[in-house]
Amino acid sequence: MKVSLNWLKEYINLDGISLNEIVDKLTMAGLEVEEIINQNDIYKDFLVAEVKEVIKHPNAEKLSICKIFDGKNILQVVCGAPNVAVNQKVVFAPIGAIIPNGNYEIKKAKIRGIESFGMICSEDELLLGNDSSGILVLSDDLIVGSKVTESLNLNDVILEISITPNRPDALSHIGVARDLSAIFNRELKIPSISLVEDEKSIFDYASVEVEDINNCPRYSAKVILNVEVKESPSWLQQKLKAVGLRPINNIVDVTNFVLYEIGQPLHAFDLDLLNDKKIVVRIISKNTEFVTLDSKKRELPAGTLMICDSQREVAIAGIMGGENSEINFNTKNILIESAYFNPSKIRRTSKLLQLQTDSSYRFERGTDPNITKFAAERAAQLIAEIAGGKVLKGTIDVYPKKISPKEIILRFSKLNKVLGFEIEKEKVLIILKNLGFDIYEVQPDEVKVSVPTFRPDVEREIDLIEEVARINGYDNIPIVPKISVTLEKKEDHQKFEDKIRDICIGLGFYEMINNPLVSEKEALLTGNPIKIANPISVDMSSLRTSLFAGALNSVKRNLNLGNKDLMLFEIGNVFNSRVQSEINDFNDFQEKQNLIIVLVGKEQNKTWNYSEKSFDFFSLKSYVNAILSKISLEKFTKDSYNSNENEIFIYYFQKTLNDKIIGSGGKVKKQVLELFDISSDVYLFEFDLSEIKKFDIPVVKYIEPLKYPKIIRDFAFIFDKNIFYEEIENFILTQKLKLLKKVELFDVFESDFIGESKRSLAFRLEFYDETRTLTEEEVEVEFNYLIEKITNNFNAKLRSS
Amino acid sequence: MQENFNQIQKEFDKDISQVSSLNDIEQIRIKYLSRNGIISNLFDKLREIPKENKREFGKSVNELRDYITNIYEIKKKEILSKSSQESSKIDLTLPANQIKIGSKHILTQTLEEIKEIFKSLGFSVFEGPELESDYYNFEALNFPDDHPARDMQDTFFISKKFLLRTHTSPVQIRVMEKNKPPVRAIMPGRVYRNEAINARSYCTFQQVEGLYVDKDVNFSELKGTLVSFAKQFYGNDLKYRFRPSFFPFTEPSAEMDITCFLCKGKGCKVCKNSGWLEILGCGMVDPNVFKYVNYDPEEYLGYAFGMGIERIALLKYGINDIRIFFENDIRFLRQF
Repeated sequence: MKVSLNWLKEYINLDGISLNEIVDKLTMAGLEVEEIINQNDIYKDFLVAEVKEVIKHPNAEKLSICKIFDGKNILQVVCGAPNVAVNQKVVFAPIGAIIPNGNYEIKKAKIRGIESFGMICSEDELLLGNDSSGILVLSDDLIVGSKVTESLNLNDVILEISITPNRPDALSHIGVARDLSAIFNRELKIPSISLVEDEKSIFDYASVEVEDINNCPRYSAKVILNVEVKESPSWLQQKLKAVGLRPINNIVDVTNFVLYEIGQPLHAFDLDLLNDKKIVVRIISKNTEFVTLDSKKRELPAGTLMICDSQREVAIAGIMGGENSEINFNTKNILIESAYFNPSKIRRTSKLLQLQTDSSYRFERGTDPNITKFAAERAAQLIAEIAGGKVLKGTIDVYPKKISPKEIILRFSKLNKVLGFEIEKEKVLIILKNLGFDIYEVQPDEVKVSVPTFRPDVEREIDLIEEVARINGYDNIPIVPKISVTLEKKEDHQKFEDKIRDICIGLGFYEMINNPLVSEKEALLTGNPIKIANPISVDMSSLRTSLFAGALNSVKRNLNLGNKDLMLFEIGNVFNSRVQSEINDFNDFQEKQNLIIVLVGKEQNKTWNYSEKSFDFFSLKSYVNAILSKISLEKFTKDSYNSNENEIFIYYFQKTLNDKIIGSGGKVKKQVLELFDISSDVYLFEFDLSEIKKFDIPVVKYIEPLKYPKIIRDFAFIFDKNIFYEEIENFILTQKLKLLKKVELFDVFESDFIGESKRSLAFRLEFYDETRTLTEEEVEVEFNYLIEKITNNFNAKLRSS
Repeated sequence: MQENFNQIQKEFDKDISQVSSLNDIEQIRIKYLSRNGIISNLFDKLREIPKENKREFGKSVNELRDYITNIYEIKKKEILSKSSQESSKIDLTLPANQIKIGSKHILTQTLEEIKEIFKSLGFSVFEGPELESDYYNFEALNFPDDHPARDMQDTFFISKKFLLRTHTSPVQIRVMEKNKPPVRAIMPGRVYRNEAINARSYCTFQQVEGLYVDKDVNFSELKGTLVSFAKQFYGNDLKYRFRPSFFPFTEPSAEMDITCFLCKGKGCKVCKNSGWLEILGCGMVDPNVFKYVNYDPEEYLGYAFGMGIERIALLKYGINDIRIFFENDIRFLRQF
C-alpha cells in the first residue's frame, strides 16, 4: 500500500524525526517499507517552462521543434507529443535531469539532425499518472522557471508499505499513523466531524433493509442532495495520485479519500437511480448477469451477496458497484454506503469472480464494524465542502447486533516468559494504550484490556504479547548466551539417502534435481499419474510417477548442449495413484522415494594410455551392484533378467529383496527415447529406496582375513549358446564342493571354429580352507569331479589348455 | 659328476649372458636358485650319493651355488640400475587421465551444510510427505478457511482436500503428533508453489523447517539459535535484524534479515536498495497449533523457523537464474 508522508502528518506530529528513522521504525514494527519515493529527490531538476514556439521538424513527421523558456533562457527542444502548443505551461526536464519512469538521464541530443537541449515531459514519464499520449499541460497560473517540487507541490515522500494479511487496520493513513504514535509515543489526531445538516430527515428520502444480517452485520448510509459533480480540487487529486489512484470526480474521490484515510470502503450511489430510493442487502437466489461500473458484464452465481434497490441489483456487496447506479456528471442526489460485511463472504465472492478491488481487499481482511457511521459522516462532510449540496439529517444505521470489543487478560509473567526477558509494566501499558487498546484493570501480575474492533487479529493473550514485542522492538530482545541440549537420542531420517548420495558421487555420478511436475504423457509411461487440478501448463500437469521422465529430459538437455558422456543420479519422491477417482485419502495414493542412475555415452574415452569403452548393460549392472554392496545389501538381493522388451526397455533386469522388487532397469527402447528426442543409447536403473529402507540391514560381521593360501584352477568349456551363464554358475555353486569357494568367468569366446551355436566360457575357480593349507591332490579331486559334472549336465566339451 | 656341474655352469653362463630385463633375471632366479631350482635339486640328490663321495659332491654343489649366486647378484644390480636409468627417460609430462568423481547438487550441498549446523545444536532430522492434506498444510497450522493468509502461498491442488505442500511446516504437525515434548528437529523437504517460472521464481523449491518445543523455550533463545546458525553459515562478522512479520502458525512472528553481502549494506539491486537480505521466517509456535497436536499451550512453548534453500544458494554463489538449478547441465553440476 502506498502511503503519503504529507498525508500521514495530518494525523501525527513527526517533527524532529528523520525520514530514515520513520522508515526504519515502521519496518521494525512490522510495517515493512519496501520502497521510498522521495519526490524532493526525484523532481529536484524539473522546472515549469513555457512553450514559446512550435514548428514542424523538417525530417520527421511526428516531431516538432519547440522553443521553450525556462525562466532564464530560451532553449530548443525536439518534442514528439501531438498536443504540444504555444503558450502552454509544461514540465521541463533540463539536461542532467533523471526521468523517473525508466531512470534515464536527459542528455544533449541530436534528433534527426536537430539539436535538443532537454525534454518536455508527459504524466507517464514523470510517474504522475498513466497518460502517455502527450505532454502534461499545467495550469496557466504557475510561475515559469519555478521548481516543480514547489509549484506542483511535489515535495511528498511516498512509502510503499507491505501490509501482512493480519493487519487490516494498517490499510489506511490513520492506521499507519496509529502505529507511529505507538512507536514514537506521540499523540494520534483523528479528525473530528463538523457536519452541517439539513433539517430534512434522511428517513424521508431513503430506506435500507438488510435481509442477511450474518453477511452484512452493519449498513450505514448518508444522503446528500443537490451536489455538483465535477473535478475534485487539486489538494484532493494530489492526495489520491500520491497513493496511486486516478481522480474520477469529486464524489468518488471523496469515497476513495475516506478509504485511504480511515480504511473504511464506501460506495456512492446516484440516489435517483435507485428504484423507490431503497437499498436492500440480500443474497441472490439465481445466477444473474450484472454490469459492474468498469463496464464489464459479469455472471454472478446464486448465493452472491448483493446490494439491490426495490427491483434490481445495484452493486456486488463489498466488491464493486454497478454501472446502473453509478455517479455521473448529471447526478444530483447521492447515497453514501458505509457497511461492514462478513470477511469470508467477501473473500469467497471475490475469489469466485476473480475480482479484487481496494474495497474487497479490505473487507476480506476485516474492517472495523464500529467505524461505518463515522466514515459515512466524514464523507458527507467532505462532499458538502467540495461538491456543495445538503446533507440530510441523521444517518441510516442498520446494526441490529452490536459487535463489542473483546476483553483479554495479559499476564506480565507470561509476556516475560515468552519473550525471555522483562519489559517494564509501565512501558507495556503505554504501548497498548497508544495502539488503541483500552486498559481498565491493572493488577500486580495482569492487566485486562479491551481490544478495539479495528484489530480483528488480536484475540488472545499471545496476540497482545506480539503487539508489545513488536512496538518495543525485536532488536531489544536480548540473545541467550547458551542453549541446553538434551542427552536423548537424536534421529536423522535422511541419513540413508545421504549415504546413498555419497556412494553415487564416489562412483562418479553427478546429482540431478528435476522438476517433479511432468506432462501427463510422461507420467503415464511409468505409472498411474496424479493430476494437478490447477496446473501452470500441460507440460507440468502431473506429478512424476518415477524419476524416469525427469532424467531423460536432463539427458536430452545435456546432449543438446554437447555433453555426450553422462553419469547422472537423482533421489526424489515419486507419486502414484491407487484409485481411479480423485484423491481423498492418504491410502488413495503412494508417495515413495526413488533413486535413479543413468549412463549415457562413454565409460572411458580414448586417451594415450587407455582405449575407449562405451557404457553398456554390464556397466549398468556393475554400478547397481556397487551401490548395493556399499550398503551391505548385495548379498541379500536376487537378480532376474529379461531379454524381451517391455514398455520402457529393450532388455532389463530387476533386483529383488525378500521377494520384493527393489529396482529395475536396462537399456531404454528407441521408441521411448524418440519421445524425448534422444538418439544416443541410454542405460538406467531406478531403485525403490522406500522399499529398501524397510529392510533391516544387519550390522556387518567381521570375517577374519584368510591365513592360508588359495589354490586357483582354470578351465574352459564349449557350451550351447542358449545356456545362460547364470545357470552354469548356479550349477557349479550347488555341487556342494567343500573347498571350492568362488567361481569367476574370465573369458567368453565365440567363433565359427567352435561352431555357430556354441560358445566357450572360461572359469577361474578358487579353492581354500579357512583352517589349513590345501594339498594339490584334494583340489584335483573336486576339480575333476566338476569337469565331469559340467560335461555331463550341459553336454559341454572341456577345452584342452 | 664333475662334468655335470660344468655343464650346469656353462648353461648358466649362457643364460645370464642373455639377460636383459628384470623379468629375465627373475627367470634365472627361479631356474637356478628357487626352492625347486637346479641348485636345490642338487642338494636333494645329496641323500642318494654314496657316503664316500658325499663330501666332494657337497663341496662342488656349494661352489656352484656360490658361483651362480655371485654372478646372479651382480647381474641383478646391473639390470636394476639400468632400468632406473631407463625410467628417467619417461616423458612424465604426458597428461593424466581424468579420474571419475561425481558431485552432489549444489542445493544438496547447501542443505547438508545447514543440516550439519543444526545437528550440532541438538536438532534431529525428520521428513514428511510432499503430497499433503489441506489439514496438515493449512488447517492444523491455523490457516482458517477463507482467510487471506492462504493467499500468501499459491497452491497446487490435487483435489478438494489434497494438495502439494506449500511449505515444510506441515511436518511440524506430524512430528508433534508422534512425539511428546521436548521436540527439537529440523525438517527439510521439497515444497511447491503455483507461481510463474522465471529467473527469480520456480514452481518448486526446498525448505528447511525448524521446531523446538519445551517448557522454557522463548523468543530470546529463538534469536540466539538463529544468530548462531547465521554466523556459522554466513560468517562471524555478520549483521542481522529480526523484523516483525506474520505467519498464521507463529505468534509473535518475525523475519530475519542479514546485511546484504553483495553491497555490504550500502544498497544494491539484489537487496532492493535496502541493504538487507531476508533469509528466513520464524516465530513462537502459535498456541492454536499446540491445540491441534494436543500439547498444552500453558505448559509448553515453542519456536519454529523456515528457510528456502534455493534462495540461500542463489545469494551465496551469485547465481542469477533459479532455473539453472533444475536444468542439470553437467557443466553447471561439475562446478560444485
